[in-house]
Amino acid sequence: MKRLIAALLIAALLPGLAACKPGKIKYTDYSFDFFDTATTLVGYADSKEEFDGVCAEIKGLLKEYHQLYDIYKRYDGVTNLCAVNDLKNGVHQTLQVDQKIMDLLVYAKDLYGVTEGKMNIAMGSVLSIWHYYRTEGNDHPEAAQLPPMEKLQEAAKHTDIEKMILDEENSTVFLADPAMSLDVGAIAKGYATEQVALYLEEKGITGYILNVGGNVRCVGSRPDGEPWSVGIENPDTENAETPYIAYLHLAGKSLVTSGSYQRYYMVDGTRYHHIIDPDTLMPGTNFRSVSVLCTHSGRADALSTALFSMTYEEGKALIESLLDAEAMWVLPDGEQKYSSGFEGYTFE
Amino acid sequence: MRKELNQAAPQKRRRNDLLLLAGILLAVAVFALVYTLTRKEGGYAAVIQNGTETARYSLSEEQEIPIADGETVTNLLVIRDGKAYMAEATCPDQICVEHRPVSKAGETIVCLPHELVIKIVASEPDAPDMVV
Repeated sequence: MKRLIAALLIAALLPGLAACKPGKIKYTDYSFDFFDTATTLVGYADSKEEFDGVCAEIKGLLKEYHQLYDIYKRYDGVTNLCAVNDLKNGVHQTLQVDQKIMDLLVYAKDLYGVTEGKMNIAMGSVLSIWHYYRTEGNDHPEAAQLPPMEKLQEAAKHTDIEKMILDEENSTVFLADPAMSLDVGAIAKGYATEQVALYLEEKGITGYILNVGGNVRCVGSRPDGEPWSVGIENPDTENAETPYIAYLHLAGKSLVTSGSYQRYYMVDGTRYHHIIDPDTLMPGTNFRSVSVLCTHSGRADALSTALFSMTYEEGKALIESLLDAEAMWVLPDGEQKYSSGFEGYTFE
Repeated sequence: MRKELNQAAPQKRRRNDLLLLAGILLAVAVFALVYTLTRKEGGYAAVIQNGTETARYSLSEEQEIPIADGETVTNLLVIRDGKAYMAEATCPDQICVEHRPVSKAGETIVCLPHELVIKIVASEPDAPDMVV
């Protein structure tokens, strides 16, 4: 009888004891220092010091990638993409670059093929014109203008990715067309995010989720073993009723959302966003946002950019032809369309 | 065999029955106590900035949440033991930091200089870990 009572008591106490086990605390860190965008790091750690230590490592790497991939600015002692783009006596120089640059350029060239040219890092000449008019337009909204089409068309003659000459053995880059330049905005953030995540995984770190300007990458699952939950923002950012249009469960995957609501400027009451279709040389108008889910964050980044400049049918055919990618499109009227496997990740 | 035994010692049987009853009652009481103490709170801390709700955090999860206004982090919201409180703020008056922890639906912490309100709301679907 005593044994029975003891057993009952233990049975009653067990769940309580399990619940008392000290859990990890969830921390969040925001920074605005990389890739001209916001970075959010969420992680489970035993202490703030532990979390800050991991964040410091992440930010150290992001800073390195940011400087190497920066096309607007040069840094002391760093040969970056801005240097690759610079002209000397009217021509580009053959430059020896960091392995991290070479790896990105090789990866980006491969994705140019995958996306049938809709993601082209050799489009710098066109994108820099848009960048200039967008910056001016945001600084002086009353005088905002669209870039003249003749100017864009002239620049578009100098976007041949085959003229980006990569010598992997000697790690050198040369742009064979003096009027061309590189713009890695469609892929660099995602590629860097992936490399940071791989570094953390190699170190055995788990329980973190990174978001570098819309490039979300999970590093392991949450300590309770559950997948991460990620909310996709409503492109109608003023809609307070429905802040998220989809919730996804992610474990060890990347999610990237490109939206026409993120980076844009207004001309005569019309919004012109930053994702430029290589064929029309204008911002794509088919979607409000496109989200891509796949393993590699750089691939997801490039694909979301490419899908933005395709029709839904073209994009769906591309996604379905890839083994590891899923996508969600938000049409201008708010309708949501999905690739065949996307809804396997969503939950209510 | 057992029947014979029970019949042989009726007094002992009654004592054992009472012990069993007491044991079960005690077990239930202990369980109820433990359950109450460790139960997950259903509530959420809603972050309201300039009049708009910008995020929602479960009170059942221990966390530290920096709150940014544009590109500047202005406040640090902490959730511990099912309660939310403002651990740090860059405002001069520090009224929000001195406010007691809140946990019941409707309770608020206001940081007037930053036009920030922390409001406890009843159960809702879990806030996502990340937003994109």
